Amino acid sequence: MTALLKSVAPSAALAPLSAVLAQVALGTSTVAEMARNTGLAEAVVRAGVDHLVRTGRLQAQELPIGCPPGGCGGCASATSCAAPAPDGSRRLVTLSLARAVL
Amino acid sequence: MAITDQPFQLSSPVRLTPSVKACCNTDGGLGAGPEAPVVALIGAPNTGKSTLFNALTGAGVTMGNWPGTTVEVSRGVWRSTASAASCQCESCSCDAADEPLDITLVDLPGTYSLDPHSPDEALTRDLLLGEPIAERPDLSVVTCDAARLTSCLYLVAQLRERGLPIVVALTMADVAAKRGFEVDASALARELDCPVVAIDPRRRNGLEALAATVRDALAQPEPSRRPVPEGVDELAIEDERFAWIAHVVDVASGAAAQNTRTWSDKVDRWVTAPVIGPLIFLAVMWVVFQLTTSVAAPLQDLLDGVFAGPVSAAAVWLLTTVGLGDTWVQGLIVDGLIAGVGMLLTFVPLMALMFVLLAVLEDSGYLARAAVVTDRLMRSIGLPGRAFLPLIVGYGCNVPAISGTRILPNARQRILTALLVPFTSCTARLTVFVMMGAIFFGPYAGTAVFAMYVISILIIIGVGLALRGTLWRNEPIEPLVIDLPAYQVPTLRLTASVTWLRLKGFLQTASGIIVVTVIGVWLLQSIPATPGYGFAEVPVAGSAYGVVSASVAPVFAPAGFGSWESTSTLLVGFVAKEAVISSWAQTYAVDAPDESGAPGDLGAAVFATFNESSGGHPIPAALAFMVFLMAYTPCVATLAAQWREIGGKWTLFGIGLQLVVAWSLAVGVFQIGRLLL
Repeated sequence: MTALLKSVAPSAALAPLSAVLAQVALGTSTVAEMARNTGLAEAVVRAGVDHLVRTGRLQAQELPIGCPPGGCGGCASATSCAAPAPDGSRRLVTLSLARAVL
Repeated sequence: MAITDQPFQLSSPVRLTPSVKACCNTDGGLGAGPEAPVVALIGAPNTGKSTLFNALTGAGVTMGNWPGTTVEVSRGVWRSTASAASCQCESCSCDAADEPLDITLVDLPGTYSLDPHSPDEALTRDLLLGEPIAERPDLSVVTCDAARLTSCLYLVAQLRERGLPIVVALTMADVAAKRGFEVDASALARELDCPVVAIDPRRRNGLEALAATVRDALAQPEPSRRPVPEGVDELAIEDERFAWIAHVVDVASGAAAQNTRTWSDKVDRWVTAPVIGPLIFLAVMWVVFQLTTSVAAPLQDLLDGVFAGPVSAAAVWLLTTVGLGDTWVQGLIVDGLIAGVGMLLTFVPLMALMFVLLAVLEDSGYLARAAVVTDRLMRSIGLPGRAFLPLIVGYGCNVPAISGTRILPNARQRILTALLVPFTSCTARLTVFVMMGAIFFGPYAGTAVFAMYVISILIIIGVGLALRGTLWRNEPIEPLVIDLPAYQVPTLRLTASVTWLRLKGFLQTASGIIVVTVIGVWLLQSIPATPGYGFAEVPVAGSAYGVVSASVAPVFAPAGFGSWESTSTLLVGFVAKEAVISSWAQTYAVDAPDESGAPGDLGAAVFATFNESSGGHPIPAALAFMVFLMAYTPCVATLAAQWREIGGKWTLFGIGLQLVVAWSLAVGVFQIGRLLL
C-alpha cells in the first residue's frame, strides 16, 4: 500500500477518507493539492471526495462562472441569479464540510 | 434466443415465492426459464453496463418499471456459448464449455455502493441482499471502468465482504490506456480474490471469455469473505475499504501510473501556486488589457472619425434640407443621439475583443484556476472563500454579482460580499478607463486600465479587512474545495457564441440607457438656469445641467477634477456608467462644436478641462478621476439589486462607504501624484 504514497503519511494511507476530510477542513483548495498534501493518488482523493459527497459528509455545489448567457447587459434587468453559465462552458464545483462533520 | 416480452410483475419489490427468484420474477415468462441461473449485471453508472447487457442479450430485451417502484429494470436471456480455450479463469472447470447455457440476465440500476441513496440504488441493494438467500441472483457481474477503477471498486469491496459470488468485467481499458495507465486484469483478480475479465462490449471483444468465466464461477462454491474491521464506527470501516481499494489499484495498475502527471497537472502546479499563481494571473490580465487597448484603438479611432465626420455632417445636411437646421431638433439628434450613441458604438471593437479574450480564458479552463487563486487570497485575509464567485462575476456586471451572493449560506457573509461587489470594476467602467487611458496615457493606456483593476482588487481587500475587523468579527470561515476541469483548446463555436451573447447584451442595455440619458441630459442642458436665454439656446455652463454640476464641483477640487464638466459626468454615471462617455461627448459637442457643427475633438477637450481643473497636473487628476469612478456607486441597477438582497439600511450604508472610499482615494492619488508628476 505504501507504494501508492509519495510522501508517506500513515494516517492518509490507512484512512484516506479521514485524510480528505482533514484537508477540506484545513482549507486545501484543489484535489491536486489534497493529493500532494496527503501523498494519496489523485484518483483515490477524487473517488474519496465523490464518496464523501454521496454519503453526505461533504456538500457539493456546482457554481456558474463568468457571465450568464444574456451577457452582462442582459443581466441588468434580471431579478434572479446566479444565472447559469453560457451553454457548453464548464463549471466549478465547490465542496464544503457538512454541518454534522464540522 | 428466448426473449420475454412481459414486464416484471412482482407483488413486492424484492420478494416472491421461493420457487422464483425475486431478481428474475415475471408472470408471463421467465427469461431463460425457472431453472436457468440468474446473473445480475451491476456496477457504477457509466461503466458500460447497459452496453454490455445489450451485447449479451441482443436487441429484444424487456424493459419496465420494477413493480411498486419507478425504477426501470431490463431483463433478457444471455445464451452463453464459450469454448474452454477462451476461458481466462485460473481454476477452470469448463468441461462443458461448448454446450450453450441460457442465463437470465438482469440489468440492475447503477450504484456505487450497497448503501443506497436513491430508490434505484435501494432496489439494487435489496435484490442483491434479499432474503431468503435462494431469491438472490446466482452471481453478479460487476462492470468496472478501468479509467475510473478507484471509484468502481467500493461496490466490489462491499460485495466481497458479503461473500457474494461475483465476476468483475473490466471495461474501457482503451480509455485508461490513453490516460497513461493500464490495468493488469490478472493482478487485479488476485488482489480482489475474484475472477476479472477485460472486455470491450462496444466491439464485442472478450464476451466469450466472460461467458466462460461466469459459467465457471457459477459452478464454484460460495467464495470466502473479505474481512471487515469490527467494533469501529462507519467512517473507520469506509476508510478501511478505501485503503484496501488504494492498495488493489496500486498493485493492479502501478503507483507510477496512478500518479502520472498530465501536462494539465504540471501547468496547475504553477498557475495555482500561492505566490506565482497570483502573479501569473495578473500578467495574464495585463496582456488581455494591453491587447484590447492596442489592437482595438485604431478601429475605435476609425469609427470615431466616421460618427464625428460623415455621419454627423450627413445628419446636419439632412436636417437643414428639411428646415430643421440650427434648431433644438438638430441639437438633440446631432449633439445628443449621434454624439452619445456614436461614442458608445466606437467601443464595439474593444468590447468584442475583450469578450473574445475572456471567453478564450474561460473556455480553456484558466478562469477556474484564477478562481482558485482568488479564493485562496480571500481566505488568507479572513474573508469567506466562497465570495470569490460573486466578485469574479462583478468584473462583468455588478448586478448579477449582487444576486450571486445568494450562494453564501450565511446572511452576514452575504451582506459583507454585497458591500464589496460594487468595488469590482465592471465592463461599463472599462469603456471610461479605456478612453481616459487613450487621452492621458497614450501607449501605456493598457497598463493604466490594468492598474485600475489591480486597485480594484486592493480596495476590495482593504475594505473587506476593515469590515472584518469591525462589523464582521468572529465570523467563521467555511472550508471550500474547487474541482478543476482539465485544460482544453478553446472552441471557435463556443468562443464566438459567448462573445456575441455578451456583446449583444452589453449593447442592448447600454443603448437603452444611453438613449434615455442622452435625452435627459439634453433636456437639462437645454433648460436655462441663467437669465437671458431661451430653451435650447443656453450655453451648457448656464443650463440647469451646468449649474447643478458646478455647485457640486468644488467637492472634487482637492482631487484635481473640480470642474463642472467632469462633475456632471460623474452625476450621470451615478445612474449608469454606460452613459458617462455619451454625456461627456454630448457636453463638449454642445459646448464647443467645430466649424462644421459636428462634435469637436473630445479627447483634447477633456484633457484641457483636466489640465485647468488640476492646476497643470492633468495626469494625477485623470488617475484620481479613474479611481473615483471605479470606487463610487456603480449604477442604480446595482443599488436596486442591493436593496433587494440586503435591505435598505445596508444599501445606504454601502453608498456612504463607496463615496467615502472613492473620494478619499481620489484625493490621496491626486495630492500624492501632483508631487511626483
